[in-house]
Amino acid sequence: MKQALYQKIADYLIEHQNGLYRLAYSYTGNPEDAMDAVQSAAYKALIHHEMLRDENAVKTWCYRIVVNESMALLRKRRKESPVPEPWDAQASYIEKGYEQDDDLYNRVNRLPEKIQEVIKLRFYEDLSLKEIAEITETNLNTVKARLYRGLRMMKKDLEEAKA
Amino acid sequence: MKELEQARKRYDEIPVPGELQDRIRRAEGDARAYLEARQDSRKPSQSKLRGISHRRVRKGLWAAAAAMAVFVTALNTSTVFAQEVGKIPVIGAVARVFTFRTDEQQQDGIWLSVEIPSVEMIAEDTGGLADSINEEIHALCQQYADEAVARAEDYRTAFLETGGTEEEWKAHNIQIRVWYEIKSQTEDYLSFLVMGTENWTSAYSESRYYNIDLKEGSLVTLEDVLGEDYREIADASIRGQMRKRTESGEVFWTEEEGGFSGVTDATKFYMNEAGNPVVVFDKYEIAPGSSGEIEFEIER
Repeated sequence: MKQALYQKIADYLIEHQNGLYRLAYSYTGNPEDAMDAVQSAAYKALIHHEMLRDENAVKTWCYRIVVNESMALLRKRRKESPVPEPWDAQASYIEKGYEQDDDLYNRVNRLPEKIQEVIKLRFYEDLSLKEIAEITETNLNTVKARLYRGLRMMKKDLEEAKA
Repeated sequence: MKELEQARKRYDEIPVPGELQDRIRRAEGDARAYLEARQDSRKPSQSKLRGISHRRVRKGLWAAAAAMAVFVTALNTSTVFAQEVGKIPVIGAVARVFTFRTDEQQQDGIWLSVEIPSVEMIAEDTGGLADSINEEIHALCQQYADEAVARAEDYRTAFLETGGTEEEWKAHNIQIRVWYEIKSQTEDYLSFLVMGTENWTSAYSESRYYNIDLKEGSLVTLEDVLGEDYREIADASIRGQMRKRTESGEVFWTEEEGGFSGVTDATKFYMNEAGNPVVVFDKYEIAPGSSGEIEFEIER
């Protein structure tokens, strides 16, 4: 075990636990699942610390695992209670009848998974596009395309809501 | 966008349960315990050795895969080669896989390459097995190609609508490939794999294995090769191999994490040259995506 690297990851997790939790919560939509996701992400980040080649990538490494864990949990939940939905609404976990509080936050959560991922990391977590590319394991251009697409979808959505 | 700031505010105000701190601490404690237990069970010198041998095995596999690819191509394209192989009675005579149709097209900067296989069985009393397999394969390939092209077109539309230019789109170099690979061809079995992939997303990759018992003229199940207790046999073998591979640093998800939970009659496998079934798990099925596809040979 590489003591220094292990400690670095542990420190990061402890220091940024609130941010990581919010990110998980934005996917899972409930505190229990969000805590489960963060806990198992923290565990995995630590036991696999040797797989982290670049010591400066602790941040993106932790984010990536939290996102993966949250998505895995979300998928599992969906499998347990499958609700047939059109593709574009797949990522929605918001109960119906919540429409009056239909602000942008809820709209973001209804974007396609990969797009909302980019939007959240960019605007909620203030990550750079390069960092997002590392977290989502995609190339920079894909991240850009998703960001533009997401912004456009939200804009259109808002305009329609106002009209 | 003002709305975006409000959304951000709402996100920032997500309350964090006090329990979170305990959870993180628990995760850290568990991880430490796990790593210490692992440390004790292996001496540093051993692990170093294992690391090296592991890498060698990997390289060997690549070489084998490359050789396989060459063989497949040769089998299907060169008549001289086909005639040569044809002289070997078993391989040439009982059954063969050949390229039924190849198609390459490019439209809207999307490159599509389709190579559809067909099975030909010489034995007479196979009850139309080859025909039904071929029908299924052709439908599968067609469907995959159509859906993949539709997905890429959607992507293109979205890209252009959001200010991307045609040049930038071309630079994406979208490639869709439907093809097949022969896994083994012995006196007893013919195993091959039909695959569909898109180079811009791995989410829709598909692969289907076909294993034909050449003596029976039927598709082979794990039960056919391992017997009635195939589940127990395969599970024990896989779990044993997972343990060993974990020791040498490979990572598998636990059952609670959605990892391996036992084979079923839908588990993918192929027959290797030695006549053993090799169980295959998709990327992400039982381990992190970085591990790719994972195989376990079940000796019998």
